[in-house]
Amino acid sequence: MKVSEATLVSPSTLDECLLLLNDQKHSVQLLAGGTDAVVRMKEGVWNPDTWINIKNLDALRYIEEVNHEIHIGALTSHTDLVESKLINERADVLAQAAKEIGAIQLQNMGTIGGNIATASPAGDTIPALFVLDAKIELRSLTDTRLIPIREIFTGPGRTVKKSDEIITKIIIRSQDEDEIGIFEKLGPRKAQSISIVNVAISLKMGEKPRECLEGKIAFGSVAPTIIRATKCEYMLKLNPLFDDVIHDIASAAWKEVMPISDVRASAKYRRNMASSLLERGLYRLMKRWEEQ
Amino acid sequence: MKTIRFTVNGNEVAVSSPPTKPLLDVLREELDLTGSKECCGKGECGSCTVMINGSSVCSCLVLVGQVENETVITAEGVGLAQNMDVLQQAFIDEGATQCGYCTPGFIVSAKSFLNQIEHVPTEEEVKTALGGNLCRCTGYTKIIKAVQSAAKLSITQQGVKN
Ligand SMILES: Cc1cc2nc3c(=O)[nH]c(=O)nc-3n(C[C@H](O)[C@H](O)[C@H](O)COP(=O)(O)OP(=O)(O)OC[C@H]3O[C@@H](n4cnc5c(N)ncnc54)[C@H](O)[C@@H]3O)c2cc1C
Ligand code: FES
Ligand code: FES
Repeated sequence: MKVSEATLVSPSTLDECLLLLNDQKHSVQLLAGGTDAVVRMKEGVWNPDTWINIKNLDALRYIEEVNHEIHIGALTSHTDLVESKLINERADVLAQAAKEIGAIQLQNMGTIGGNIATASPAGDTIPALFVLDAKIELRSLTDTRLIPIREIFTGPGRTVKKSDEIITKIIIRSQDEDEIGIFEKLGPRKAQSISIVNVAISLKMGEKPRECLEGKIAFGSVAPTIIRATKCEYMLKLNPLFDDVIHDIASAAWKEVMPISDVRASAKYRRNMASSLLERGLYRLMKRWEEQ
Repeated sequence: MKTIRFTVNGNEVAVSSPPTKPLLDVLREELDLTGSKECCGKGECGSCTVMINGSSVCSCLVLVGQVENETVITAEGVGLAQNMDVLQQAFIDEGATQCGYCTPGFIVSAKSFLNQIEHVPTEEEVKTALGGNLCRCTGYTKIIKAVQSAAKLSITQQGVKN
């Protein structure tokens, strides 16, 4: 395998990292778990002068509850999310999404910050972050800004993050007792597969049987970036979510998505699967809610 | 070139290498640990799996500069012919290895999984744990059986010790 000519530096603090990112003379790029970056490096697509290795910046690896929010350090691995009691109890949809990423090796290596920064339309944590109203903290040497997740992505592989910025933190809503979420994914192989379609759902339930007070639905891989299915979300509130209503909502999803055809699937197949995944997700959520 | 220090299979090593060289290549070319294999080179097959600080990772996607001061365990560290681990013996007994190319990766993934549990895993659990490892010979059934019988054996052995 061709060895990159680039140098690699490992800052031991965030401040040191911000200084390195501020370098105007050389091209630099962050390296976290490396599951996207090293693949691209080997393909010769990403070749900065210097890789800034942040894998061991443990100050950015934490999950904690602050007031009614959950703060997640950008270097938190997918395995950390899967194993976190707090995430499983208060943001179940994110734990489920992390569990669907690649295989165990990839979950051990890959980070939530890397998943966001790569900005793949198929990134699995991203729809979950959409329905949890995530805010992303970006820091540079001179500035700190908090951007809502819906404003982060500008296209496939593109974000508003500037070259001297690092994602430091992800802040999500902590779900109440009456809120439930689910993540559904369709890929070619259970482990290690890029999503053909994925969907994250988060519902706030009422007192009456299957009454939904509010719901959020985000689809991945069916548009240039993640999209919210606003018509379907509106329909969630109209009638209790019995099976025929779920079927109607899922049918409406067909019109909300705008997928492309590529090597992995045709647009028509993606549309059909978007409907089916939403239907399955809502159906499973209702079963779970009634068994609770 | 840079001198990079880390621990491999219990031994402290110092290698002189470009820090962006994949760990897999350093293990094989500089340290003569040729158990870990390269197949896809991009995280999809698991034949290069090693443990870093106890967690299984694909060494083809880790740069050697990233493991400074860390602890790496390869299939050789799980056991060699003279001190084979129960898991490796189970692979032999169950006939879970044919050409053998994938075996070191499976051994490391399975070892890391067994280290985390204290029961005999179900077939589904083993499949999830080993989902990142591909084998083109065995058809997997024997590999799954080997992992289960190793778990059984370690539990009985521990029972005897206690
Ligand atoms: C075999 C295989 C299977 C995969 N399967 C899936 C899957 O099922 N679902 C899925 O969503 N993804 C999948 N991926 C993609 C990848 O594993 C994830 O996107 C992962 O979360 C990336 O995180 P990382 O830490 O490895 O990022 P890296 O590879 O280290 O970095 C990726 C990019 O993000 C930037 N970056 C990293 N951290 C930060 C930060 N804190 N701030 C700013 N920029 C940063 C880097 O500069 C780089 O541009 C797969 C990859 C492989 C190789
Ligand atoms: S060679 Fe590393 S995963 Fe295939
Ligand atoms: S034994 Fe040949 S690839 Fe698994």
